[in-house]
Amino acid sequence: MTGLAYLTVAEGAELLRTRKLSPVEWTRALLERITSIDSNYNAFLVVTADKALAQAKAAEVEIAKGQWRGPMHGVPYAAKDIFDIEGMATTCHSKIRKDHRATSDAFVVKKLHEAGAVLLGKVALHEFATGGPAFDLPWPPARNPWNRDIHPGGSSSGSGAALAAGMAPAALGTDTGGSVRNPATCCGIVGMKPTYGAVSLAGVFPLTYSLDHVGPMTRTVEDNAIFFHALAGHDPEDPTTAKRETPDCLKDLKSGLKGVRIGVIEHFYKEDAEADPDQVRAIEQAVVLLQQLGASVKTIRLSPLALWTDCNRTIHQAESYAIHERDVQERPEDFAALTRNRLLPGAFVSAAKYIRAQQLRGALCREFAEAMRDLDAVVTLSSLLLPCRIDDPAAIARTYDQQCRLVFNVTGTPAISVPTGFTDSGVPLAMQIAGRAFDEPMVYRVAQAYCEAAGTCIGADGKTQPRLVATTRTAAE
Amino acid sequence: MSDASKNPETVRLLAERHGLSKALKLFPDGVKAAAERGLKPLGELPKGTTSINSPAPIFNPARFVSEK
Repeated sequence: MTGLAYLTVAEGAELLRTRKLSPVEWTRALLERITSIDSNYNAFLVVTADKALAQAKAAEVEIAKGQWRGPMHGVPYAAKDIFDIEGMATTCHSKIRKDHRATSDAFVVKKLHEAGAVLLGKVALHEFATGGPAFDLPWPPARNPWNRDIHPGGSSSGSGAALAAGMAPAALGTDTGGSVRNPATCCGIVGMKPTYGAVSLAGVFPLTYSLDHVGPMTRTVEDNAIFFHALAGHDPEDPTTAKRETPDCLKDLKSGLKGVRIGVIEHFYKEDAEADPDQVRAIEQAVVLLQQLGASVKTIRLSPLALWTDCNRTIHQAESYAIHERDVQERPEDFAALTRNRLLPGAFVSAAKYIRAQQLRGALCREFAEAMRDLDAVVTLSSLLLPCRIDDPAAIARTYDQQCRLVFNVTGTPAISVPTGFTDSGVPLAMQIAGRAFDEPMVYRVAQAYCEAAGTCIGADGKTQPRLVATTRTAAE
Repeated sequence: MSDASKNPETVRLLAERHGLSKALKLFPDGVKAAAERGLKPLGELPKGTTSINSPAPIFNPARFVSEK
């Protein structure tokens, strides 16, 4: 079997269900590929090869008996090392957590286990899901498969790298100010931040209490919808999860855009901040394509991007400092410089400023809900700029807030990053599609229609795959 | 309040009050930059939002009853 590296979840699931592919074969091929190329990309912190092969074998036996559990049965995935997995360290890519051992699985890991998915290992992140690609930690930062010298995005950097390099077809990420969608943008993959409360946060090391989201990361929109379904649902152990049935995101996925009403939040990247011309050109072409596909499109206005940024960052600073206060006070030298610089401002945020940010959040959420009254979805940029060099901390700090993702952490509404093409030098470009709370089906529908027509997702055809640095050729290729 | 971050003595006093003496000693520039960011006031609130509006998360005692 060739092409296993870039096999999608949807294709793989069908091959597994019909027993044309064994989960063991798929898993083994990906493990070999990880061994062959990951020393160049540092996506994985730990590879759980024995466990993966045992899970794959169990899936193979069950499927052979006709006990197919669903589309994630026998499908390999990777988990950002911020999710608890019983018996393993949840390091959060930090020296501070090196000796930790989780005593149970995160709720979403349990759900994936019940769905029969196969864990390949735990992947890199920006320390504690903040900071940036740091070189002063026990593990090196993940590298971007499109160009090892540029930032892979974060904080779910290993997830993005593993997907783009064909080392996993699905990966778990988390997103507080864009940490699923940023690596999706930089690595040319698909990353969804679902509605706050759609997916449990239990067993996930927090960055903040009210902005964190668990999100599925994949190479295609359809795969993302499949993966989202396996993760979503009420968790009695997590009071933030909603007691509602997860909507069927696959039913209308390929229904097209006829009659769909889309707003374009253009002022974020044309007035409020300076955006890279390639990013702007790509989203403008995407908007034309959405119209050609039958959507009605109009420009809309929200509060200036700077106000959304202030709101997100104030809440982020205060809540993350509350989590890390003792370590920042007692062992500041044990954090990476980029992480420490992100956590320290929280010490100086007053209670009054935090409350005002929450009041502002209420006002901004009402404003967005009002704007969505006669719309089905909105589109805007994800990153305003192209990814900078991975080894330039000043550029990383400077460009940290040059983005439109944090808007949807403030509103808690679903937002997906989808690829819109490449620069002439091969750097991935992307835009966001966002929707109403719990309307993931519409966000996926718009994303699917766009990506299918634009042909921008990484595919098995080889036309949209990064040229990787490999030491040996593997079965997955 | 944001002007406070420009005065090194004020930053030192605030940092010490927040238990950041070690961080200040090891990373003085980082603490100074953090004070600037943390003390920076929020942007102008949208029309109709004032200090007596309810914040986004509202305390709900019933939640604790239904949790278990």
